[in-house]
Amino acid sequence: MSFWFAVLRQAGRNLRQTWPSQFMTLLTVSLSVLIFAFFFLVYNNMLNVGDKLGDDLRLIVYLEEEPGPEMQAQLKRKILAFDEVDEIRFISKTDAYQRFSEQLGENRDVLDDMPQDFLPASVEVVPLKNLSSLSQVKNFSDYLSKLPGTIKVQYGQDWIERFYYFTRLLSIIVLLSGGLLILTSVFMVSYTIRLTILGRQAELELLKLVGATNNYIRTPFLLEGLLQGLIGSTAGILSLYGLFHWVELKFAGPGILSIFEFTFFHPQTVVTIIAISIVLCAVGSYSSMQKFLRI
Amino acid sequence: MTGHGENGTMIEMIKVTKTYPPDVKALSDVSLSITTGEMFFLIGMSGAGKTTLLKLLCNMETPSNGLIEVAGKDIHRVKGRHLARLRQKIGVAYQDFKLLTDRTVAENVAISMEVSYKKPQLIKKRVKDLLEQLALSDKHNTVTGELSRGEQQRVALARAVANSPTLILVDEPTGNLDAGTTEKVMQLLTKCNNSGATVVIATHDHSIYRNTHHRIMELRYGKLHLVREGMVS
Repeated sequence: MSFWFAVLRQAGRNLRQTWPSQFMTLLTVSLSVLIFAFFFLVYNNMLNVGDKLGDDLRLIVYLEEEPGPEMQAQLKRKILAFDEVDEIRFISKTDAYQRFSEQLGENRDVLDDMPQDFLPASVEVVPLKNLSSLSQVKNFSDYLSKLPGTIKVQYGQDWIERFYYFTRLLSIIVLLSGGLLILTSVFMVSYTIRLTILGRQAELELLKLVGATNNYIRTPFLLEGLLQGLIGSTAGILSLYGLFHWVELKFAGPGILSIFEFTFFHPQTVVTIIAISIVLCAVGSYSSMQKFLRI
Repeated sequence: MTGHGENGTMIEMIKVTKTYPPDVKALSDVSLSITTGEMFFLIGMSGAGKTTLLKLLCNMETPSNGLIEVAGKDIHRVKGRHLARLRQKIGVAYQDFKLLTDRTVAENVAISMEVSYKKPQLIKKRVKDLLEQLALSDKHNTVTGELSRGEQQRVALARAVANSPTLILVDEPTGNLDAGTTEKVMQLLTKCNNSGATVVIATHDHSIYRNTHHRIMELRYGKLHLVREGMVS
């Protein structure tokens, strides 16, 4: 009889004898993984949305008066003195009027009585894509607002700030649910293994006396922990996939959700979540063995 | 445990003392040598220290003082994998049997062979043979919790000898048995001894050592006394 055959048989016997507590642990691990993976999925998708919004980010600097070529060169130099940017575009009063008129479409006749220079001239600054954090955008905006001849700087502050704080809140939830996953997995698995060990004290004692090696006694418990992690996390991820698929079908077509493209985890992320769960459950099992299995 | 100690000695005890707290002396300066392949009877009244001596020999207890060597190794210094290997070669039939009462007779006997990774077919055959020799064939699949004390005692003995150990320690092997079954048990132990195993039997059953030609020593108040020198066969 090989070592692994003996160990697998022992693990199978343990699982058969203690299946109610094993099932409860499996359920807890699945739920923890499901909760964590759900928030992580939402967070990931929000980051994608944020990236997309970041691609369209531009700061509009409204100027007191139309800048001449020399002033344009000066402003350009000043802007570039703060940071590299993707693009700087000068919009004259007439260009602004034209744009506005185009945006109004069929209602452009409301501008008929207005002079063509009633809108202020502006500079559109498209920052580099690496300008990601809110504070960086704010700093840049503050700098631009202090340039001579600037009336106001606009970049959709309110919306961007709200979105930024929302993703920050999500990241906190992801961290908390990650912590919850760690605690519940380690605690529940270690508790189940502890119960099994206490329930089989006489057998473990006998195994020791008839010459079972430490590995022979310990490996089945470690295997149980690994199985709990593997099956529990796979069940959790599969449930989330089912939920994701259902939401996709249910909310397909025009609607708020169709603005954004939601995606499920990459296979690597799924493998990583499962691997981490397995490690956590193995840690729970190992800690119980260290405490209660005196060999 | 492939070999043995100096000059073919299986067990060497030198000035071994065992004191249980607070101050109960179970063994006092016990010195004893048992040669490989010997059958040795340890007799004495209940509470004389027989079980303690056996427990010291299989490393279930540690001595308060003195040296114990089994097959040339200080058994209380051997640890981990080496201790497990040594224990695989020591078969012990405990006075309290230490059976898994929710498992069948066959499973209980097989356990000592499973830990040394014997092949399943071999285990099956050995279990069948042993149960036949101890008149337990009909109990093969019976849960040991449902057996009588005498039957449990024989299962414990079968488990002790199943892995063909080189040292067999037996504590009161016939305490719950009738004369016929006692005979069967002694036949099995003699068979093991004839095939090279060292057998130590702790007993107060006069009938099993009365006519023996093997060495007998008596424990009295924790001290060892020679009753009869063994005869070379």
